[in-house]
Amino acid sequence: MTASDTGTTTLGSPRARLLGSLRRVRLSDGLGLAALAVLVLVAIAAPVVAPHSATAPSGIPLSPPSGSAWLGTDEVGRDILSRLIFGLRLSLVGAVLVIASGVIIGSVIGLVAGAVGGWVDMLLMRLTDVFLALPAPVLAIAVVAAMGPSFTNTLLAVSIVWWPWYARIVRGEVTAIGARPHVDAAKLAGVGRPRLWSRHLLPGAGPSVLVVASLDVGYLVLILAGLSFLGLGAPAPAPELGAMAAQGLRFLLSKWWVPVFPGIAVAALAYTANLAGDALRDLIGDR
Amino acid sequence: MSDLRVTFERRGRPVHALRGVSLQIEPGEIVGLVGESGSGKTVLSLSLLGLLRGEPTPKVSGTARVMGVDMVSAPAAQRRRLLNTQLGAVFQNPMTSLNPTMTVGRQLLESSGSTSESVRLLEAVGVPNPQERLDSYPHEFSGGQLQRIMIAMAIAGNPSLVVADEPSTALDVTVQMQILELLASLRDHLGCSFLLVTHDLGVASEIADRIAVLYAGKLLESRGSQAMLTEPAHPYSIGLLQSRLSLSSDRERPLISLPGEPPDPRLPPRGCPFAPRCELRIDDCEARMPELVELTDGGFSACIRLQEAAAYRAEFEPPLPWAEGAVSEDAIVRLDGVTKTFKKRRGWSHQEIQALRGISLEVRRGEAIALVGESGCGKSTLLRVVSGLLDHDGGELALAEDLDPQMVFQDALASLTPWLSVQELVGERLRGRGQSKTEVRRMVIDALQRVGLTEELMTAKPRQLSGGQAQRVALARAIVAPPGLLLADEPTSALDVSLGAVVLNLIGQLRRELSLTVMFVTHDLAAARVVADRIAVIQSGEIVEIGRADEVVSAPQHAYTETLLASVPGRVAPIQ
Repeated sequence: MTASDTGTTTLGSPRARLLGSLRRVRLSDGLGLAALAVLVLVAIAAPVVAPHSATAPSGIPLSPPSGSAWLGTDEVGRDILSRLIFGLRLSLVGAVLVIASGVIIGSVIGLVAGAVGGWVDMLLMRLTDVFLALPAPVLAIAVVAAMGPSFTNTLLAVSIVWWPWYARIVRGEVTAIGARPHVDAAKLAGVGRPRLWSRHLLPGAGPSVLVVASLDVGYLVLILAGLSFLGLGAPAPAPELGAMAAQGLRFLLSKWWVPVFPGIAVAALAYTANLAGDALRDLIGDR
Repeated sequence: MSDLRVTFERRGRPVHALRGVSLQIEPGEIVGLVGESGSGKTVLSLSLLGLLRGEPTPKVSGTARVMGVDMVSAPAAQRRRLLNTQLGAVFQNPMTSLNPTMTVGRQLLESSGSTSESVRLLEAVGVPNPQERLDSYPHEFSGGQLQRIMIAMAIAGNPSLVVADEPSTALDVTVQMQILELLASLRDHLGCSFLLVTHDLGVASEIADRIAVLYAGKLLESRGSQAMLTEPAHPYSIGLLQSRLSLSSDRERPLISLPGEPPDPRLPPRGCPFAPRCELRIDDCEARMPELVELTDGGFSACIRLQEAAAYRAEFEPPLPWAEGAVSEDAIVRLDGVTKTFKKRRGWSHQEIQALRGISLEVRRGEAIALVGESGCGKSTLLRVVSGLLDHDGGELALAEDLDPQMVFQDALASLTPWLSVQELVGERLRGRGQSKTEVRRMVIDALQRVGLTEELMTAKPRQLSGGQAQRVALARAIVAPPGLLLADEPTSALDVSLGAVVLNLIGQLRRELSLTVMFVTHDLAAARVVADRIAVIQSGEIVEIGRADEVVSAPQHAYTETLLASVPGRVAPIQ
């Protein structure tokens, strides 16, 4: 029995509550969130922000970083900075699409498994285990081999192995929430099954899913870059960070800026996404 | 203790848990510290033990001297030594206070020093076969036995003072009294003092020599036990005592209850914290905190209107009696030999637990029936079977048509979906009945007002509600479309005494206004007697006695009913 058990109520305005939760953000968390916000803004505004075209040459090939091309140009003469900005956009879009598909498929399967239980749960979870056992890169190679190299196919391959994690989380949360008295109360109140599932069970899994999803952004940026490094991404001349690093690799010793800047961009993006994910976890866990 | 103040910081805002408490405990004395949740009583006991922790560190001022050592300011090593030699502690939940991975013997050894001393201690606290039980793990003991072991640890090394924080609250009713009796007998044999912290004046009155009443971090009254029970001086003590349920509470009228709720500890009032709920309040009460005044019997009370309070106590008029309710003869619930068995798997072996062993019972339209028994007796299972949440295995269960049973739960907060608003939660029962949005809204407001809440709470989320408000919202949901049958599963046992009285009254009032049939599950015969027309006593899945409420209480037929009756605390005559 502590002082928080007191019987009094404070109905703060939403604005006051938001300010309150912002005040609890630590400095490192705040920096992580701010940095990711900047990167997202840059990605959205890529056509405006990028000084040159990402696909057409804009200067002398392989020229070092200078005033007109801050990060130099590649072997075709394209501005590396502009390609990085568009590549950033592609990476983020890819990560978000995979996560979105994972959250949707995973939520549906996890919800049904957790809410119905019994043999349905067993069946769905064993199915989930099967997909969990597939290695993403190998599956990606298979999909690309079968359907040809394209960004969509890569995303499809990664999505196929990604949703099981979300299904497991949602199923776990839904099972736990299903045992709570508020579900019994809702059943007695005459709430039908669709509404029971969507309003009384699923929202409880939201915070956990959000935390995992936010930490997944950085991980997916790395996976997608890795796949495109192996040539399993969008065909040239699309500005993909992994592919740019791979194509520039042969200049590593002579024209270092061609492969090194894309590599730094991938690392920085993944790191920022992880910082922001940690921050989000702290914020949600705080409540 | 002298002018002890403790302030926590929670979410960046100060929480004033104790606001200047002075209290003395004499050698060999049992002091009962009584307060509702949030009154600061646990904080007080932790400060006395030097165990206050928190992030950020709580601000503590004043002194808490034990045998001359100030537990607030003394160096950590000195405090620890005192804690080892002169102090003992017993907490509410013995299951979480003991390490589940170590044998009881090893844990006892840490405080007793030798095996022979451990055996002696276990004997002293009444654990049978102490020598053999030393090798057992905590999970092999019952809750009552574990609490005895905790007490054995607390009295190891003959401490001067044992702090017991709600030592009997988590235990079954029949065990509670044994634990209290043990504490009293230990005082007689060891001569140590006890600080018995409890929310229940009845528990304190059983064994305490003196009772101190704590409210919103302030001591309002400190009196000899007998004086506190017969002539409490402070209006809060009077209200607390009046709202206490006993086996002789008047069941023809609503229980006497305290209006309102304690103040927010983040915004403690300048004056008397009880003033907003006090019928004798004058403007001076809220101007500044009244000093503790010495009374003729040596007790103290912090009230500037003591004479008026004495007159108020003497001339108090009980609430008007309930209107006669109509009970018809037709049974709307009929159980005939209903059984329920739970299968439990432990590793490879299957275990069967018979929760219900042939229950036969008829519930008539308009009546209130209480199902009384200890935890694990099957009373909640019975309620869940009737509600339809659980299927029964054998026997017949017949419910009248359109019964639409609704249930309120012990943990009201957990029974409200955390992310939905009060309006959605209450209004949900009206879905699919062809009512327009404005009609639903009006009915929700109606229901909220009926349970004593205001329209402003419509947008609140459950975690913004207090315990009492949460139980009211749960009741509003149950009655927004009046059900044929209201099931109540220990709706008051998680609430403070004064709040419990409010909820019992509310159920009594709703039941009469809306002609509800009520099945009320409780472990407390005093509550059952007040709420119900009939009482069914359940033991190990069987009804051992059933009859009119006052008859079951005044002339029990079954030995088990007598045991339950004997364990209702505070069998003292109510104040007149």
